[in-house]
Amino acid sequence: MELRSRSVFAVVLTVAVLMSVFVGLGVQGQEKDVYKVGVDANFPPWTYVEKGEYKGFDVEVIRAIAEEENIDIKIIDMPWETIVSALGSGKIDVLVSGLSITCERDKTIDYSEPYWSVNQAVLVSEDSDLNAITAMSMGNKVGAQRGTTGYMWVQDHLIDNGVDVQLKAYENYVLSVEDLTTGRLDAVLADTTTAKNFVKKGRDVKIIGTVSTGEQYAYAVTEGDPYNLLPKINEGMEKVFESGRWMEIFNKYLAEYGYAPPAMIPMGRELTCSE
Amino acid sequence: MEIFGVLAGEAPYLFKGLLITIELLIGLLSVGLIGGLFLAVLEVYGGTVASKIAMLIQRGLRAVPALVLLFLSYYALDFPPLVTSILALGLRSSAYQSQIFRGAIQSIKSGQMMAARSMGMTRIQGIWHVVIPQAIRLAIGPWSNEFASETKDTSLAYVVGVVEIMRRSRYIISYTYGNALLIYGIVALVYLILTRTGNAFLYWLEDRLWVPGFERRS
Repeated sequence: MELRSRSVFAVVLTVAVLMSVFVGLGVQGQEKDVYKVGVDANFPPWTYVEKGEYKGFDVEVIRAIAEEENIDIKIIDMPWETIVSALGSGKIDVLVSGLSITCERDKTIDYSEPYWSVNQAVLVSEDSDLNAITAMSMGNKVGAQRGTTGYMWVQDHLIDNGVDVQLKAYENYVLSVEDLTTGRLDAVLADTTTAKNFVKKGRDVKIIGTVSTGEQYAYAVTEGDPYNLLPKINEGMEKVFESGRWMEIFNKYLAEYGYAPPAMIPMGRELTCSE
Repeated sequence: MEIFGVLAGEAPYLFKGLLITIELLIGLLSVGLIGGLFLAVLEVYGGTVASKIAMLIQRGLRAVPALVLLFLSYYALDFPPLVTSILALGLRSSAYQSQIFRGAIQSIKSGQMMAARSMGMTRIQGIWHVVIPQAIRLAIGPWSNEFASETKDTSLAYVVGVVEIMRRSRYIISYTYGNALLIYGIVALVYLILTRTGNAFLYWLEDRLWVPGFERRS
């Protein structure tokens, strides 16, 4: 009898320990002292880490915005695989990482005004004879970073229309370009800015064409903007542009790739999504 | 080569990443050690109900991939990434460790417990003072295997935002736009050294704790 009661106690204890572990602590207020800004620190020149320090265009712009708007932010690194869902579930408050506006993502997160436009560039290895059309047909292997607009474009516009390509997903553009130079891939589809960086940094690749997707980068917050951050981000963006700070940051990180800065920040949003 | 200059500058930050890896490893192994011993004792001595429950917990945790457990804990709990990973990987390790300890406990001859009881010890005293001290010594060998496998599994924790050595090395690959082979090679070497050092320590401990006349790893 004594033994029985002891084992029942042990069961209760086990369950209690496990239960206490699985109880979350989600408390939500309307304002926070410090907002968590999530970046994927693998996306230079937008967001990256060099010698333990967060750097990049987006990192400096969001810091300037926070300064203008008197809000405290903390930058947190999240890998690309997790970052959009982390924002969707409120684990981070703002996402800042060269993120394109898409209607698919618009369902789970809210965007600020856009600040940059990109298209998709077709990269092949330097000695390749392929052109933009043949590179992405005839059974060729095309790589892209998983969950990016380049990846989605190949899926939605080529594969779903019956074009004969093999789409390979990578967790990072660097690895796909590495596979391009060793011949495991025939082409890589990447944001024009990203693609130009690889050429600029002397990888043995060339850009053979551009797909005009007309995407725009924007910052994003959790769906419904629970802390009312979007007006602050949009207003801050405008102030940072007007004060000339935006151009300073542009010159530091982006000018070397031969881009013309946009005439106005924020720029108008191109993409409208039906609810 | 330019990359070696970069690597020299990044070395302190890679080392910082290594420290996080070690913190994570020690944390998860401790959670696993306590949880594993608890589950093992429950499974062997718990009676019908408790041992069934311990078995179900242990089997359930072993059946779910580490990556899935990490994501589950990340979205279910509201702790810092390091704590989340220690809990997720630690709970899973407790399931594996429980099987190491169960095997060790069951290999202690039943005469040991009878002798303890005949000397007036209670069952719990017998487990704590007679069975466990012998079982732990036997468990060090197989436990070193669990140590090695968990060391390598810490490299999964970056998915929930733990900036350990794997993530740190990826930073360098990203901003230098390449060098993946070299940098992952260095990381592999670091894991090798970490695993071998840990195992060497465990073998030393095993020899150190060996009671002459008892069984040991040959």
